[in-house]
Amino acid sequence: MSRQAFQWLFVILMILCLLPLIFPIYEVANQGTPIIVGLPFGFFWVILWIVIAFVIAVILYLVDPDNKNREE
Amino acid sequence: MADWTVALLMMIAYLVIALIIGIWAGKGRGGSLNEYVVAGGGLGLFVMWFLMGGAVFSAFSFLGAPGWAYSKGAPAYYIIVYTAFAILPWYIIGPKIKKIGQKFDLYTISGFYKGRYQTKALPVIVGLLAVFAFIQYLTTQMKGMAYIFEIMTAGHIPFWLGALLAYGIVVVYVATGGLRAAAWSDVFQGILMIVISWVVGIAVVMQLHGGSSNMFASIMQNHPGFLEIGHEGSNMSGIGYTTTILVSIFGFMMWPHLFSKSYATKGITIKRTVLAYPIFALFLIPLLFIGFAAIGVVDYGTLDSPDQILPYLVTSVLQMPGWIYGLIGAGALAAAMSSADAITHSASLEFTNGVVHNIWPSLSDQRTLVIMRIAVIVIGAFAYFLTVFGSEGLIALLLGAYGSIVQFAPGVYSALYWRRATPSAVISGLIVGTVVNYYYQLVADSTPMDINAGILGLMANLIVLIGVSYATKPQEDKVVSEYVDAN
Repeated sequence: MSRQAFQWLFVILMILCLLPLIFPIYEVANQGTPIIVGLPFGFFWVILWIVIAFVIAVILYLVDPDNKNREE
Repeated sequence: MADWTVALLMMIAYLVIALIIGIWAGKGRGGSLNEYVVAGGGLGLFVMWFLMGGAVFSAFSFLGAPGWAYSKGAPAYYIIVYTAFAILPWYIIGPKIKKIGQKFDLYTISGFYKGRYQTKALPVIVGLLAVFAFIQYLTTQMKGMAYIFEIMTAGHIPFWLGALLAYGIVVVYVATGGLRAAAWSDVFQGILMIVISWVVGIAVVMQLHGGSSNMFASIMQNHPGFLEIGHEGSNMSGIGYTTTILVSIFGFMMWPHLFSKSYATKGITIKRTVLAYPIFALFLIPLLFIGFAAIGVVDYGTLDSPDQILPYLVTSVLQMPGWIYGLIGAGALAAAMSSADAITHSASLEFTNGVVHNIWPSLSDQRTLVIMRIAVIVIGAFAYFLTVFGSEGLIALLLGAYGSIVQFAPGVYSALYWRRATPSAVISGLIVGTVVNYYYQLVADSTPMDINAGILGLMANLIVLIGVSYATKPQEDKVVSEYVDAN
């Protein structure tokens, strides 16, 4: 993967992880019930997407061509 | 010994330890200009995590996050969302800024602007706006520290003295140690804060509600809509919430103290630091719990400001022993100080490099270092006077300055990626954006559709930037290529 392709992929995937947390998409989770693992649903949803973003970012870091090609 | 005395002794002990670490870390490194500004370019990953984390764990998060959860409910999630996402652009732009910084020996955001746009007016404007915004930000941190001293010692340390004490220490170690001092004290402060927020967060929820499910169920029963955004019973509109997150995401890396970290860090360290941020965001969860736990326990109107909810719960509701408040006080001080030191350090750099260097270009390194240290003291003094004597008008004015930081973003992104951007376009965009932001922050009663004032400024900024760029002559290819093609 070229560096430019990687950078686009990174930007797009991170935006996709952010969109569920802002309106209009956040509306689907914008409620207090059900309470999941002790958190209101909206709060749980926020944490869930942050964890997903974290996992995706770590995977992207591992495939980042820049990190493989040269040690700085 | 009375509880407040124990608490006071612990907070003093904390301040002394922070001071010793600060002075120790800055010692024996020759006190050169380069060491002072970028710590010789060699900060490791661990220190970097906390240096950047310290920026998030500020008095705003330690006192403000519980305050928002308590007074506004669900909109407080915004703090977690922006913490997780705001640093992500750094993964892409950080290493590029680092390369450019290395090539041109940069250490500020004003210097970065000057290198691409080749004009003296721009770094002077950027430097002044940055210092203006920093003073306001510093005032927030000092207020936080002063609240802590005042409430934790049951009023024995008055507001003015508390602010003076903590700030005195920040000035001393920033003025002596530079960036490395700030970094090591951040490690210490960051660890202290994380531990304290979890311990207190869990204790508060269990003690007052017997668990978080019960707590949230009772909030929903007694305050319908409080855990939703933009519905009836909520305290914020959906557009207000969304644009507040967006302004933080665009603006976060534009804070000069964070932006300039790009120069002091290897590309790979930047990337690893970014990865840690969503985890930092999760560390903030217990701080929201503390605010939610106070709902129904502390009546609205009891406090002067919702930001006092955390210290108030600890001292007046939970009746915890003095050593616990001492520890919490120290954690809050840590939070405020880790931001205050980074801000002060950076404000002195932007002022010297952006404003002073462009007005008096041939200044020796020694003299520059002296001016920076004087700037630390003077900027601190401004913030101190605003904290203690600040009238509403002044504070409101400076709040506008906070929103103006995000106006740096179009110029920075254009510098990195857009060949056609011209210096006059960037200057006019910056000025128009700042004016629009001020207008909606200070003059207008409300904003169209409840859009955040910073975002309105940003839209105006972008329109002007693009329009004027196409109306003016493009920059020389060679200059542009040094930035846009850097990799």
